[in-house]
Amino acid sequence: MKKYLLVAKNTWDETVTYRLNFVMWRVRVVLQLLTMYFLWLAVLPPNTTVGPYNQSLILTYILGTSLISSLVLSSRSYGVGDEINQGNLSNFLIRPINYFLYQFARDLGDKAMNIVFSAVELTILFLILRPPLFIQENPTYLILGICSAAIAMIMYFFINFLLGLIGFWSPEVWAPRFIFITVLTFFAGGLFPLDILPKNLFLIFKFLPFTYLLYFPLKIYLGQLAIPEVLQGLFISLVWAILLYLAMKTVWELGLKIYTAQGR
Amino acid sequence: MKIKKYLKVWFLLTINVSQIAFLSRFGAILFIFGKILRFSFFLIFLILLQAKTQSIAGYSLWQIIFFFATFNLVDTIPQFFWREVYRFRSYVISGNFDYFLTKPFSPLFRSLFGGSDILDIPMLFLSIILIVISATKIGDISVMGVLFYSILIFNAYLIALALHIITISVGVLTTEVDNTIMLYRDLTQMGRIPVDIYRRPLSWILTFMIPVAIMMTFPAKVLMGLLSWQWIIFAFLISGVLLLLSLKFWQFALKNYSSVSS
Repeated sequence: MKKYLLVAKNTWDETVTYRLNFVMWRVRVVLQLLTMYFLWLAVLPPNTTVGPYNQSLILTYILGTSLISSLVLSSRSYGVGDEINQGNLSNFLIRPINYFLYQFARDLGDKAMNIVFSAVELTILFLILRPPLFIQENPTYLILGICSAAIAMIMYFFINFLLGLIGFWSPEVWAPRFIFITVLTFFAGGLFPLDILPKNLFLIFKFLPFTYLLYFPLKIYLGQLAIPEVLQGLFISLVWAILLYLAMKTVWELGLKIYTAQGR
Repeated sequence: MKIKKYLKVWFLLTINVSQIAFLSRFGAILFIFGKILRFSFFLIFLILLQAKTQSIAGYSLWQIIFFFATFNLVDTIPQFFWREVYRFRSYVISGNFDYFLTKPFSPLFRSLFGGSDILDIPMLFLSIILIVISATKIGDISVMGVLFYSILIFNAYLIALALHIITISVGVLTTEVDNTIMLYRDLTQMGRIPVDIYRRPLSWILTFMIPVAIMMTFPAKVLMGLLSWQWIIFAFLISGVLLLLSLKFWQFALKNYSSVSS
């Protein structure tokens, strides 16, 4: 366990080493956040609603996606595909280290840094913009929201790792990831809360894993779901996490059979 | 004669870059598909937003789509022509930029036009089709409106050119390019919708400091007859000044270039 903590710490240190790179990345994140924030502020004046959202709830949702994204979507395991293609995976296969845990520890180090920055940015934005935020005071919803975000984090790691495993079969690992990020931005609820979609479409979305990455944890936080609905959603996301884990293990084993350490 | 030479160099470099892009046909198709998907998703988002809120800051749905289509046209052409800027950092840190300086043609031209990205061509067509459809739906378009729209689109490219020159100049001085160019992309993304939607001071910043409004919003507004002549003159002034400053900055960067690693 100690060695994985060290990996997480190293990832943190690595980020600190390339400070300018990281700060510029965060500036970009804030810009993207501000774009959506001001857009929603313009289209939804006070005393108007879109579906079940008034201005306060929608702005809380948009700012909340930034924090949840830092926890769920920040990652380092996107490098798995390149490590396979360059043959660097061999270095891990011959060492007494679990490659999944190694990558997960790297993800944790990256998430820790992003969460710290995100919290500071949101505090500054709150002080400057003074948005009418919704504060959830019910501890049950807060705990369930955190549980949902934790499952989302694990789910995203499995999806990300699976995408990297394409490297066993193809050198083209970035194009599928580009499509994935595009799909994710829309389907996870990064642009808007998914329940403003037409009802039939949203019903389909409820069974997709993307819904449980951003939209669902925030929806719990906003207290807009009854407890049975929350439990149902947590169950679906757990099932997805298990299915994705099994898929990742199977694809990993299949990939190892054809791995030739090409490039080393 | 000189133009012919430069056109030939651009054409040859574009052929080379295209061959590399199509080394993996699967990857190229996926990238094109991804770009179209990204375009479609934001369009769906705008349609959804308009349907749920009745009107976005007083604009009709087709006007909002026209703004978005214009943004895509202004956003895609620089990516098509000046894709080399995205590769520029590797030339500086490897020292290969030295070869640009010793060749018998402009290093600025080589740094900007070193191979166009043909994967952007489908997006160009898509933007133009959407511009024509949405303009037809808006109706009441005058010939002068179309003329000034074209002129302001050209003006937007001059601003984009200036910002790309500033980016590579920063690259020559600091070896930092990737984040600067992506920052430019993120800022211009704010122009996917009319900039006057944003509150002050943000809308002012996007007009006077970082001219996203002049690039993306002004052309669309002039076609709709919503832009006064004072703003049109202001747009030309900004592009002229910015282009001049960027060229001066490029000269300054070249004078201070110290050949990083060759």
